[in-house]
Parts: sequence; C-alpha cells; structure tokens
Amino acid sequence: MSQQIPGLPDMTYIDREKRTFLDQIYFWEITRGILITTKHFFRNMAKWLTFRKGGVVILYPEEMRPDYSQNNRGRHILVQRSDGSPRCVACKMCATNCPAECITIVAEESDDSNIQKRPKVFEIDVSRCIFCGFCVEACPVDAIRMAPTTEELAGYNRFRMIYDKKTLMTWKPTVNDDVVHGYNP
Amino acid sequence: MPEQTIPATYKIEEVKKRREILELPIAGPGDQPIKVNIGPSHPAMHGTIKMIAELVGESIVNIDVEPGFLHRGFEKMMEDHNYVTALPYTDRLNYVSAMINNFGYAETIEKLFGIEVTERCAWLRTLFAELSRVTDHYTCQAAICSEIGAMTPFLYLMQARDYIWEHLNWASGARQTYSYARIGGLARDIPDGWLGKLKEILDSNIPLLKDIHGLMDRNRIFLDRTQGVGEISKEDAINAGITGPFLRSTGIDYDVRKAMPYHKYAEVDWEVPVGKYGDNYDRWFVRMREIEESLKICYQCIERIPSGPLNVDAFQAHLPDKAEVYDNIEGLINHFKIIIDGPKPPKGSIYHCVEGSNGELGFFLVSDGSGHAYRLHVRAPSLMIMGQLDKIIIGHQLADIIPIFGTVNMVGGECDR
Amino acid sequence: MESTFFGINTVTFITNLVIAGGIFGFMFTMGAVMSWSERKQSAQLQDRIGANRAGIPLPGGKSLKVWGFINNIADAIKCLVKEDFKPRAYDLFMYNLAIFFAFIPAVISVAVIPFAGEVHLAELFQSWYLKWIPGLPEYFATNLPNYVFRVQVANLNVGLLFVFAVGSISVFGAILAGWSSNNKFSMMGALRACSQMISYEVAMGLALLGIIFIYQTVDVWSLVQGQRELAFGWLPKWGIVLQPFAFFLFIASAVAENKRMPFDLPEAESEIISGYYTEYSAFKMLMFMFAEFIEICFVAIMITTLFFGGYSVPYLMADGFHWPWGAFTAVSHGNVVLLELGSFLTKVFFFCFLLQQARWSLPRFRYDQLMRLGWKYLLPLALLNLVVTVIIVALGGF
Repeated sequence: MSQQIPGLPDMTYIDREKRTFLDQIYFWEITRGILITTKHFFRNMAKWLTFRKGGVVILYPEEMRPDYSQNNRGRHILVQRSDGSPRCVACKMCATNCPAECITIVAEESDDSNIQKRPKVFEIDVSRCIFCGFCVEACPVDAIRMAPTTEELAGYNRFRMIYDKKTLMTWKPTVNDDVVHGYNP
Repeated sequence: MPEQTIPATYKIEEVKKRREILELPIAGPGDQPIKVNIGPSHPAMHGTIKMIAELVGESIVNIDVEPGFLHRGFEKMMEDHNYVTALPYTDRLNYVSAMINNFGYAETIEKLFGIEVTERCAWLRTLFAELSRVTDHYTCQAAICSEIGAMTPFLYLMQARDYIWEHLNWASGARQTYSYARIGGLARDIPDGWLGKLKEILDSNIPLLKDIHGLMDRNRIFLDRTQGVGEISKEDAINAGITGPFLRSTGIDYDVRKAMPYHKYAEVDWEVPVGKYGDNYDRWFVRMREIEESLKICYQCIERIPSGPLNVDAFQAHLPDKAEVYDNIEGLINHFKIIIDGPKPPKGSIYHCVEGSNGELGFFLVSDGSGHAYRLHVRAPSLMIMGQLDKIIIGHQLADIIPIFGTVNMVGGECDR
Repeated sequence: MESTFFGINTVTFITNLVIAGGIFGFMFTMGAVMSWSERKQSAQLQDRIGANRAGIPLPGGKSLKVWGFINNIADAIKCLVKEDFKPRAYDLFMYNLAIFFAFIPAVISVAVIPFAGEVHLAELFQSWYLKWIPGLPEYFATNLPNYVFRVQVANLNVGLLFVFAVGSISVFGAILAGWSSNNKFSMMGALRACSQMISYEVAMGLALLGIIFIYQTVDVWSLVQGQRELAFGWLPKWGIVLQPFAFFLFIASAVAENKRMPFDLPEAESEIISGYYTEYSAFKMLMFMFAEFIEICFVAIMITTLFFGGYSVPYLMADGFHWPWGAFTAVSHGNVVLLELGSFLTKVFFFCFLLQQARWSLPRFRYDQLMRLGWKYLLPLALLNLVVTVIIVALGGF
C-alpha cells in the first residue's frame, strides 16, 4: 500500500454487484454533482461582482498569460553584429540538422578575411518549420535564436511565408551582439 | 419482401451470448440490418478511425474497424533521417504523452551504445515520464466524459492539464512536441525554481481531481453507462497481446515498470492498480488510480532529484556543451561530426520497451553502423487493442461504441504511426 | 356606451392583445435568454469567460457588449443570412413542415398559465408607476370602475389537458424531421426522439394526477388559487409541500420530454452528430434550437405553477399581507400586481437556472436505460404516488 497524497484519497472501487441504495436512486448523487458545479459558478460570480476576472481564461492578444514560458520556441531571430551584418558564417549546420529541411542557405565570400563566409541567401520556410529548436542547438556561433512569442507568423499566402534574411533580422526585438555569450536556446 | 437470413459472417453465436447476458431480444432471420458508417471525421473518434457498423435497431450485429487513416510513414522516415533529426518524429507518435516516446527512443539507442545515464538524468526522466503519463490520462478521462455528455469534467481536466503543459514548456520549450531527450541525457537542464513551481501546480490539480470524483464516480447514470459494457476476459486480452491499463483492468497486474524496471521506478514507493471485470468502469478506475500513483511518484521525485552532471560523457553519442564548441577545436569538430553524420551506434539489433500510457511501447532497432537506422519498428500498444475491438463491441448498442472507444484511448499517432 | 371592434368590446380587445403580446413576447425573449445562458452560465461554471467579443459600437470608441448577449443576436442574424441548402430529402414538404410542429407547441402551451392574479384596471392606473399617463386613469375611473381581467391569455377550464394535448404534437416535429432527411443518423435520432417523448408523456401525466386529485381541478387558475390556501394556519399549500415525490417525477419527465440533458439522446452530439436536425441549416435549425430553449422556460413555468404556487406570494391576498400571527400590512393594488408578477418571474428564473445547471453536470443516458427508467421506474412510482395520495385524502388529510 503506497503512501497517500494529502488531500486526495485513493479512489474507491464500486463493484457492480455491490451498489448501495444511495447509488441506485439517481437523485442523491445528481444533487451532489449539481452542488459541485454550483460551487464553481458562485465562486466565479463572486469574482466578477467584485471587479476581478472569474475564470481562468486569458484574452489573447490583449493579455498574455502570466506563466507564459520564456523558453518557448517561437520565431527565429538572426543575431546581428554591432555593424548590422548577420553573425551567421554560412556553415550550414542548421540546415543539415533541421528535421524538416526548411532552411535554405547560399554562401558567399565575406569582405572581412577573419570571417570568411557570410550568407547571401538565408531563408526559412515557416510553413514547414516544426519549431524544434535544432537549428539553434546546431549553430556553432550563436547566430540564430528563437524568441518566445510567435506573433507575425501567420500568413495568407504560402509563398510569402518563406522568410528571407532581411525579415529574420529585423523582427522586433533585434539582437545585436559581438561577443558570443553562453548557449541561448 | 424476401426473407433475409443473417449471413454466417455475423458471428451469431457471440451475438447471442452477449445479448443473453444483456437480456435483450435476439436478432433473428427476417431482421434486416442497416449499415452505418461511423466515419473518419466524427466528433468521437479520437484522431481518425472508420467503423462500419451493421445495426438491427440500435444493436450492433457486426462491426468492421479500420484504423490507419493517420499513417504517415514514420518507420520509413527513420531510414532517411539520422538518429538526432529523427527525434521530433517520435514526439508525434503518442502526441499526448510525448516525453515517454522520446525517452523510449533515446534509451533504445543508448542500450545499443552501451551507455548508462547519470543519476540526475534518470531521476529527471522518471519525473518527466510520469508527468506525461498524467497528462495523457487527463486527456483520456476528459474525452470519455465529454463524449458521454458531461462537458464540465472535460473542461476541469483541461484546466489541470494546461498548467502542467505550460510548465513543461518552461523546461523544454514546447507544450506538446518536446523533443527533450538526447542520446545520453537530456537537451538541457531544468531551470531554477522549476521544481518548487511544479509542486504548486500539482497541489492545484488536486481540488479539480476531487471535483471529477464527485461528479462522475458514484453517479448512477455514469455507472450504468460504463459498468458491464465493453468487457474483455483475461485470456482474450493476453492472447491478443494487450498491455497497459486495458490489461490491468481485467485483473492481471503486468506493468513494464515493475516487471522490467528502468529509470528509477524500483526506488520510489508506488503500486500498480488493477480492476476486476475488464469493463469500461474498470478501465476508468485503473486510469484514475494511475493518475494518483503517478502524482505520488512525481512528489517523491521532486524531493529526491540529486544534483550532478546531466549528460553522460559520451562524445560519440551527443553534442558537446556549447562552452566546448565555442572555445576549443575538438569540441567544434565533435559538434560538426555528429551533426553531419549523426551518432553511430555499433552494428546490431535491439528491442527495448517502456511503459507508455496505453501499454508496452517498444522500439525495435536494427543498426548497420551508420548514422541512421536500417530499420526502426515501433510496437504500438493501441494497435493490439484495435484488433480486438470488434469482439468487444459486437452485441452492444450504438450508444455503447462511444464509451468503449473512449476508454480504449486510441491515439491516432501511435496506432497508425 | 360600449364601443365595439368587429363585435368585440374595444377595451377587452386591447387588453387581450397587450397580454397575449406580452406573454408570447416574454417566451420569445426567454428563448433568447436561455441560449445566452447556455453560453454564459456554462462558461461561469466551467471557469471560462464565454463569448464576449461581439458588440454594438457606440460613439466614443467603446462598444456595447451586454455581457455577451450581443453575440446571441449576432448568431441569430448569421443564421438568417446563411445559405439555406436544399438537401436531397425524401419529401421536401415534410422537411419544411417539421419545423412548425416543433416550434409552435412550445410557444402556445403557455397560453393557459396565469402570470399574475386578477387585475382591476381602474385601481391599477392609480398605482405609482402608471398614474402619470395622461388621460387614461381618469377614463378608467369614470367609465369602467369594475373592469377586471386575468393576466392569462386563454381562460380555459381544461387548462392542464390543453398543455398536454399541445405538448404531444411536438413529437411530430422530431419524427418528420428525422425521417424526411434521407440520412441514417437523422433517422436514428428521430426514432429515439419519438419513443422517448411518448414514454415520458405518459409518466408526466400520471405524476400530475396526484396534484389534480388534491386540488380537485384541471383549470390552471384554480390550481394556483388552491395553492394560496394555508394549511395549519401558516403553511401555504404549495404543490411541493403536498406532493414532494411527484415533484421529482415531474421534473425528470419534463426534462425528458424537452430532450435536454441528461435525456438528450435524440441529439447526442458525440454519437449521431446532431440527431434529427443534422440536415437542417440556417434558419430552420435555429427554429429547432429556439423551440428547445423556449421549452426549457416552459418546463420551469410548469414547475412553478404546479408545485410552487405560481404567481402567489405566501400570505399575500388581494388587499395586502395577512401574516399568520394576525398582523395585516396593506398593500396597494398596483404593488400587489407587481409583487405577484415579480415572484412568478423570480421562481421561473430560478428553475431555469437549475435546469441549466443540471444540463452541464450530468452525462447522458443510453437508449435502453432511458426506456427502462421511463416505463419501469417512473410509471409505477407515479401510480404508487397516486395510490398513496388517494388513501391520505380518503382518510381526511389535506
């Protein structure tokens, strides 16, 4: 017999051959059930009548839920260096690691010889992306991150949902960072 | 009107036996059945299942169950992706308890590698797996309630489930498709304060569970709908290969977590609930008790998680820490090799099973030494139940299909892969 | 000098028009209010908010939301302008006719229910809320000082039988709708509806035999008058006091007749989609649902009238409060009418609330369990109730 959780006793089994009289007349248990829902009803009404919000519903997008996770995998953000260029070196680790194969990268030579490559084309097909975060995990230079919210991701046109480099860099908030910090999923 | 005899395929003996038990008149020659299609898109078919039922009045004389509408080629995909990029696909097998699938998959590969995870990782995996099981049982019970008409318990359970999901979002990054397991450990460690908040959330679930007990448990309408309906005998269940709450409701206490213990199940104090007759009420009872037992395991895990390293030190299996990748060249090369080729377990084949929320979820892996699997087969627990569903339903009425199917908890992603 | 209007006394005509308009208007409004409470009350008890976005824009940037009621009006407008497709029905005439069979009985059954007591029109116009109308108080005081009418549309002395007769017509609505829809699921919904409604009509009628026996009348007005009397000098002889068992039987049968949860098998959404009105769309489906909501209100009105004294406030007679300890508080006629109407509405709203709470808390019956309940439990219990009532009355009680 394992230990009980305080406040939640183990459920008792009601054998179908041994139902009690109170189980057999419908009204007793029905009244108890109605009392439970009435308790919820009046608890919520009391909250509304004292100008608070009854109910646990969040009216999105005017409100955000207070326990909205900060680690949620939302839209992708390309990190910029302090001069505005993307930190990406077009190594294509993210494109290789992507399970949905939705990242397209075309590399070109960079002007700076310390940074040898930069992306000419960096596109993410958001209608194919599964928001798994593998690209963020794969990047060796912390060039792509995921913001927690997912606004501006819906679209009316399938082809307009392939977001190019410029869009990915200019979604608010932008991130400018020259130094690579810790891991930022 | 020509006399129509009921054809021999109608399993007439079983129908007679069932209807004698239920004290209903027997459909004889001259009764013309009508064929009704309870189609793939129906409010009560979780995921998609087609059933073609032949009815005489309201009683079912024959039923043909067709799963498979959600088949997406999971096992073929495994041959194409490497072991790391295949992980999000396992999330989408039993999508209501995705952590269990993730961990089962990761452990199969770890067994092939011969890797043993760290203590902290084992405790965390136990905790996450039990939280997933709790959310799966919440979903199943809520669906049963809403389909037999009581919408309010459905919403109370959804409220309880939602807090847990958002909390898992804080740890892993998603509410349902976590992709949290990695070979050799987990994707990242839990944030500070996560365990304390989890305790609050589990405490807040308890009043909602008590409300559900008060609304449903002794309500005679509910008892009449579920007791005596959808019975399966012990022998039939074992012969069909059914495991999980379905089997335990018939009275046999086989649970993979007790029979072949993995993670830390042997070290926490919990028990396996069993039913008595194998009918709908017993499956409801077993799942409710399993929620309570899983909550007990969660409370004990919260107390007992040790500190220590999270991922085991196996460079060929998982990505190195980001500090290594940014700083030294071996880390960078390791990172690149694993991403481009994938982790390469040794050649061989292995079968490993975990206790999913519907039964024994098994992964059979054949590896040829390269970065992706040669063959990965998933033993889906709910598929075995689908095979027996027609024997269970025949003889009952049309209105009984709904609670029976609800308590089966067929999750389309797992049954059809 | 009496003016006539097609042979009917003008004043009578106008008062009857006002009363009929008021009562039927009240029923239609209650149908809308019930569908609003289906959303909002259910939201309250499920910890949600319910629909609250639709609003009428007001000048100044705000919008009038009325706690979600505008959503219901928006739904009605949507149903009016939606595409009304023509299914390949077996019989289009029956398909269209079924709506009327479902809708009309629910509304006209309320014609025999009194909403308030007798109204003396001349005194009514002296009350504080009507005496500011120019001209009418003087007209009635001089010309028709003794004019009396009842707040009841039809003054039938077979009131209760009329209710049952009209109520049994609504079975046709369900059957015709399901049969003419050319859809197996609709057919099954129609079969379930038909057998359910017929069984529970029997149980409902028999449960009320005790009431009829005690108050010695079928006329609804006299039933309410009978409930105003006091037993032992202080307890009003309400139906719930004299026949508590029949109250439970009646409430179960009436909810089953209305096809609401827990008896809403004919339209069980998770099994047969929408049952007998699957193939209806737009305004026709709205009429079916509207009829169902109006019937909830009607069931509440029946419970109030038969078991809780109708419009009567305990101890309130036509001239004031006659308290049981001998005191007397005078109340003016206008206030008496207002109190009676108010008490009727309060009781009706309370029972509507209770029926809606029961709707959301309970699972639904299976078909054979429903039949078993109706024929094997409710019917014998109603007869037993009648036998016990007869014995007690014969022994001199009540």
